[in-house]
Formats: sequence, C-alpha cells, structure tokens
Amino acid sequence: MATAAMGGGFMNQIMRSKTVSLVGKAAAPPWPSSYFLVSLKRKGIGFQLYCCSNINNNNSNTYLTLKDEELMRQCELNTFKASGPGGQHRNKRESAVRLKHLPTGIIARAVEDRSQHMNRASALARLRTLIALKANCCLIDMNEVRNPVSLESYSPPPELLQILPRNSTLRRSDSGPQIGPNNPKFILGMQALLDLIFAVDGSISDAAKLLGMSTGALSRLILSDDSLWKAVNELRASKGMNPLK
Amino acid sequence: MLKLRSSGLSCGVCANFRIPIPRCYMNSITTSSIDVKPKVPLYLRPPSFSASLSELTKWHKWAKNLASSVGSSFINLDNGPDSTLLRRELNWLLQDLIELQYRSVILSRLESGNNENPDVSVALRAPLEEMYCVWRQRIEKRRPFQYVVGCEHWRDLVLSVQEGVLIPRPETEVIIDLVEGVALNNAPELAQSFWADLGTGSGAIAIATARALATHARGDACGRVIATDLSSVAVAVATSNVQRYGLQDVVEVRKGSWFEPLKDVQGKLAGVLSNPPYIPSGDISGLQAEVGQHEPILALDGGISGTNDLLHLIDGVASMLKPGGFFAFETNGEQQCKFLVEYIENEKPGSFRDMNIVSDFAGIQRFVMGFRR
Repeated sequence: MATAAMGGGFMNQIMRSKTVSLVGKAAAPPWPSSYFLVSLKRKGIGFQLYCCSNINNNNSNTYLTLKDEELMRQCELNTFKASGPGGQHRNKRESAVRLKHLPTGIIARAVEDRSQHMNRASALARLRTLIALKANCCLIDMNEVRNPVSLESYSPPPELLQILPRNSTLRRSDSGPQIGPNNPKFILGMQALLDLIFAVDGSISDAAKLLGMSTGALSRLILSDDSLWKAVNELRASKGMNPLK
Repeated sequence: MLKLRSSGLSCGVCANFRIPIPRCYMNSITTSSIDVKPKVPLYLRPPSFSASLSELTKWHKWAKNLASSVGSSFINLDNGPDSTLLRRELNWLLQDLIELQYRSVILSRLESGNNENPDVSVALRAPLEEMYCVWRQRIEKRRPFQYVVGCEHWRDLVLSVQEGVLIPRPETEVIIDLVEGVALNNAPELAQSFWADLGTGSGAIAIATARALATHARGDACGRVIATDLSSVAVAVATSNVQRYGLQDVVEVRKGSWFEPLKDVQGKLAGVLSNPPYIPSGDISGLQAEVGQHEPILALDGGISGTNDLLHLIDGVASMLKPGGFFAFETNGEQQCKFLVEYIENEKPGSFRDMNIVSDFAGIQRFVMGFRR
C-alpha cells in the first residue's frame, strides 16, 4: 500500500469543491465514447458519477468480492498535490484522496473525511458502489445487458437475500439479519437486485413477486439507499418508465 | 440554556450580534511543568448545553458568512486556508458540537435552511456563546481548527490536541504504513519487542504503532512502545491519548530529550520512529499563521538548516537499535532526505542496510528509513 502512495501527486480542481466526485471513465474506449452523468446522494454526501461503457461486465462481481487490501492493490492512489513544502509547514487538513481502479479505469474520490486514512476508506467504499452500479451505466449507454438472470426458475442469490427485509417469504432462517446500506456487503446485494430489475424490464411489482414481497416493501428497500434508488430510476427512465418516488 | 455572562476576555470584535462573550480559554496552557491537565476535546464533552434551532441557525449563518468573507486572502497572505476549507471545518465543528443522536437531522436542517419548529431545543456540547467566540478565534486569530475542537483525526484515530502540542499532520500517517508494510511484513519478529517514538507530541505515532504491533504479533508476545517528549504538555496529552485507547500497558510515555530517557533499552529497540522539528529557523517567521503563531516552536524549529535534531537522531539510532531493527524519520523534503542519506553513508558506513527515501502522499520526498545491520 505504501508503494502506491509513492506515485506523483495529482489533484483535480473539482476536489476543491465541497462536492465529492466520482469520475470513472474507460482507459481507451475502442468505440465512440459517450459520457453521461448519474447524480448520486449517499449518506448525505453529494457526489457525481460519470461512467462510460468500456468495462467488462463479467468482472464486476469478481472485483466486489475482493478484500479491501486486494482491491486497493488494483488501484493507483493519488492525493492532493500540495503547494509548498507540506509537512510541519502546513495546516490545511487537505487530506483528499483519489483512487483509480486500474482494471476498469473507474476513479473514486473522497475529500470530506477528517483524515487521509479515512478518506482512503471512503474512496474505496465508493469505488465498490461504482463497480456495482457500472453495469447499469453500460446499459443506458450501450444497451449492454447486466449479469443475465433466468426468470423461469428464479431464485435470488444469497447476497440479495441478505438485503431483503424479514417479511420476504423467500428469506430462510439461515439468511441472517437484514443488511443495510452501511454494510459493505449491501453493494453485492444491490448489484443482484439491479440485475433482476433489469431482467423484468424495470417493473418493481414483477421483481417484488419474484422476491416474495410486496411492491411497497421492495420500493421501500430501493428508496433506503440513494445510489440504488438513482440507479433504478435511471434504468426505468431508459425504458420510458416513470421514476420511483 | 446556560447563559455565561462572564466579563472575561473579549476575543476580537464582531458587532452584529449582542451576545455576551464568555471567557475564551485560548491560552490557558502555560509552559510551567507542574500539573498540566489535558483539556477535554469538544466531541467528548457531555451535551449539557442547549440552544434553540433558530439560535443555532443564526450562529451557523454568521459563521458561514465569516468563513466566506475570507475568500482567498489567507492563501495570498501566507498560503493559509481559503473559504472552502474553512466552511468544511465549520461542518466538522458542528459534528463535534451536536450530540450524535440528532446530529444528522439537525445538520440537514441547517443545510436546507428549513424554518420549521424554530423553537425546538438542540443539545450542545458547549454553549453557543463559546462557539461565537472560538469561530472568531479561528478566523480572526487564525487559531488552528484542531485546537478549537481539541482533537485531530489522524489515520483511524481521534487524538486530543491542545496549545503546546504539535498537531499531527496527514503526511506523518505514512510512517505507520512503513512500519506495517516495510518493517513488520519483512521482519515479523520486530512486532514482539520495544519500539520508540521520539518527540511524540500527541502520541500519534506511538499509539498507531502499538496498534500495528498488536495486529502483527503472533501468539503471546506483543511488542511495546516507549514515547518520549521534552514538553510536559505533550507528555500529559500523549498519556491521556494512550489511556483513551486503552494502551497504558503497551505504550509508556517518558519525559525527556530524544534518547535520554531510553538508557535502559539501549541496543534493544526493534524500531525507532520520529517526526522531529525540521523546519529551518529562517523559515519559521514566514509560516502559515496557524502554524507559526500557534503551534509549539519546540516541535517545529530544527535549527539553521533544519537538521539539528535529525542529525542527533541519526547519530544515536545505531547504538539504540538491535541488529535488524528499523528506523524511519520524517524530514522537510528532498534536500534533507538526500543530505541525511549521504551523511549516513559517509559517517556511518556499514551500520545500516536497505536505506530508502520515501515520498509522502503529495509526492514530496519526506521520509528516510532503513534497517540496522
């Protein structure tokens, strides 16, 4: 990890603003790239996500199952390019961090935490969210499909069961307590849920039926996490459907 | 709500409100060595004060405007903070001020400017009058934010700091990465013996190192850390930080200069770490006001070339470390790093191996490290 820190400093102007930005782009798009913007709100922090489609969907699950250290090793870490000599000379609490995930080119930043170390953890958490959401971005941009879901014999994967509320009839006694948006494992469930919602063409009621819960309960689950909510609405918008409110 | 009507020190004049100004305990730390009582940081005080939501909103608007009025004037003056950074600090101040239970609700109300229920009472960890006072100190006196709230977030720690103690810097966080990534990964047995943090200040390096040793130690024997400092304020603050993290059996804080209090562990240390004063004396007067006017000169001024204390550390470290022991020192930058490596190669030939210069997060060559042969 220390070696990653030894690269040259980098700092984009955007990091000076109060807004945290997540800028992800493909390293070298082989086809005409069209960027688009998904605004996200998570834990009260506004951030934006630019995404392009040159990412291999099949890998996203693999990345998300990596441990923090393993994912970090795939990243290039840059921080604020300090003006002046830094160290003892300086008291500015500019502990911004920029993480670039080299295999996908996705970039996550964090600036609002109070230590370098915590900003690194926030940036890494955001990177995970971004990786989970990116398949959705690709859909809008390129009409690529998410991880395929077979509807005929649908049975939700364990990571999705974990984020479902207790009243889902599909939850088993071994599914454990419900995991909320603050748990890092929520992202894996969120990804599986987005895969399902995509497979049923954005219909919340159809997805709810397949998950053994009411449409209202599924809507509440989606609304409980702002980035999930946004992603679902982007997906619905691409199919000409009204947003969830 | 408790009204403080002390007729104490006024701190700066700002005329557009008429609230009595309480005494500001800004310079309550004296240099006397007797009975230094560490101050309780804002976030650890009991929420025994209150203000109505409208009063809090009024203060917040005032504080935000004061921050905005700075613009980039401090940047131009001495490379100090700009309005954006000051407003971010204001949010952190609010986080520490408001009791956790309702914090997010209150913060989003302040952010949105929602005027419902202006009379609702908000529990605070300090009287609002004090907040007017300390925020003026922040802006007008350039008192460091960390002294205002009494803590600094450093790595995954929240360390108490106060006047008289150097505020740990983000750059120094890398020293712990070196301890874990370089020293303990290559030589796990080092996790089982004594380490030293010289000039510990708030105790940051010592505490984080102790936690790293505990993670890396296999089985029973976990290493210990001795932290030294010449300043009695630093010794008191470091001791209280060590206790807050429940490490009093692992980290021992000793008062004294550099290696002086370490005679009993001479030649036995597995690691020596330090962020000594390294700023050249001539640069002190031009420092950012937060640093030059408020932080202890003892922790900053490294003599004419800035290397007085670093050279003293390098001269002593070979005899303090056991064979295979690790050292890492923070420096002023590339020039000092190169000078020190050259000094070691010329003056201490054969004493060390795997010497290296390591850059900080901003890409500035910041640390000199190596192993005792």
